[in-house]
Amino acid sequence: MKVLVLVLVVLVILALLAVMSRNRLVRASISVDEAFAQIEVQLKRRSDLIPNLVETVKGYAAHESSTFEAVVAARAKATTATTVTDVAAADGQLTQALRGLLAVTENYPDLKASTNFLSLQEELSSTENKVSFARQFYNDNVRTLNSAIKTFPSSLFVKSAGVTTKPFYEVDDPQDRKAPQVKF
Amino acid sequence: MDFRKLQSANKLKSTELLFGMALLVGVVIWALLTYFGKTGVGVVPFAVGIALLSVWGSYWASDKIVLTMTGAKLITEADNKQLYDLVSEICIAAGLPVPKIAIVEDNAPNAFATGRNQDHAVIAFTTGILRVMDREELQGVTAHELAHVANRDTLVSAIAATTAGALALLSDFMLRMMIFGGGNRRDNNNNDQNPLALVASLVVIILAPLAALLLRLAISRKREALADVTAVAFTRNPTGLRRALEVLAADNTVVKQKSTAVAHIWIESPLDGSKTSQLFSTHPPLATRIATLRAMEGNS
Repeated sequence: MKVLVLVLVVLVILALLAVMSRNRLVRASISVDEAFAQIEVQLKRRSDLIPNLVETVKGYAAHESSTFEAVVAARAKATTATTVTDVAAADGQLTQALRGLLAVTENYPDLKASTNFLSLQEELSSTENKVSFARQFYNDNVRTLNSAIKTFPSSLFVKSAGVTTKPFYEVDDPQDRKAPQVKF
Repeated sequence: MDFRKLQSANKLKSTELLFGMALLVGVVIWALLTYFGKTGVGVVPFAVGIALLSVWGSYWASDKIVLTMTGAKLITEADNKQLYDLVSEICIAAGLPVPKIAIVEDNAPNAFATGRNQDHAVIAFTTGILRVMDREELQGVTAHELAHVANRDTLVSAIAATTAGALALLSDFMLRMMIFGGGNRRDNNNNDQNPLALVASLVVIILAPLAALLLRLAISRKREALADVTAVAFTRNPTGLRRALEVLAADNTVVKQKSTAVAHIWIESPLDGSKTSQLFSTHPPLATRIATLRAMEGNS
């Protein structure tokens, strides 16, 4: 009789652990989706800042057309991307184009001193940091999900939880991983 | 040192300390049973009840209470956009909602975070710290404070405080019962008890509050170390926090609000100046914290 009770207790514990494992997988997967949505939110913020930025710079440096075109083209590409790899690729291109634009502004002291540009620059700098941290948070969540899928015992419940491994968000240029820091 | 390994190590250590607390409670209950028999244990619910009431009320309203005690003023995004941006950025890295942000009028550089959970959290900076630190250092400080929110350290300290408080009350009750109500002892055949066990239980009852206090402070130190490492996990930049701690180490001013009740939540303990021994301090020494961060810098 006592053996039966013991066996039942063990089975209940195992069942609870199984449920916990499965739920862990589901939650990890949802976290990854949320984190990706967060990246898209920050990318959209950045995208919305760009027309104003381009117009402000044009006001002082009208003939730097190639730089503007690069930014505008990269931005257009970014709005059409949907999969993780496409979004990451477009993100990398736009980051590089923006860096080029900001480098150009170094040659125009009047522009750099204008309050409009300064507040835009702070906004842009903070948004770059947020994009960078959003990428980092997404990758952290992907690491958690993929590890849970591959390690025992949660690996047993992958089918039941209906989860799949997700790709890391990899930006092309290694310099892109560090956001431009603005010192006060 | 890999920050992930350090995080697990610190979390394990603080869990062990919490178990240590639970063990201490067990030992005290043994002492009660040994010395007073079953009647002694009847006091336990009272002690726990009183401790719970006194600690959990302040835990629940910790955000409002601490804001009032420190005279901190809440700010909006428009009041200080750069600070708001800085906090929001780390919140994204941490996956936390943006907490209430407050500023304390005080020349001494310091910061704290409190709140019963991430949805009721508050992070505060003194005017001193905003004046003296650059963005990278402030980012490190913010990450450390948000780490406290993410690691639910307000809850951990509340649990530790309740246990320590209950133990102190139990010890107090027991000593009073011994002095004024010695009659209990005759009811449980103390003559059959091992005299050594009686003495041991007496020693336990007297020393338990001290042991509880030491454990509580050890837990606080471990959680501070954990917050430093978690901050690096958020920013991936140990340099910021390390430089911030170096600024704090070089600065001699102390915040005005140094009451022991709130000392533990500041990033730099305002009680550091006094000659309190290592065992009684709420934070690990700044030098140790800086050294740990430097070791992490070596790896990046």
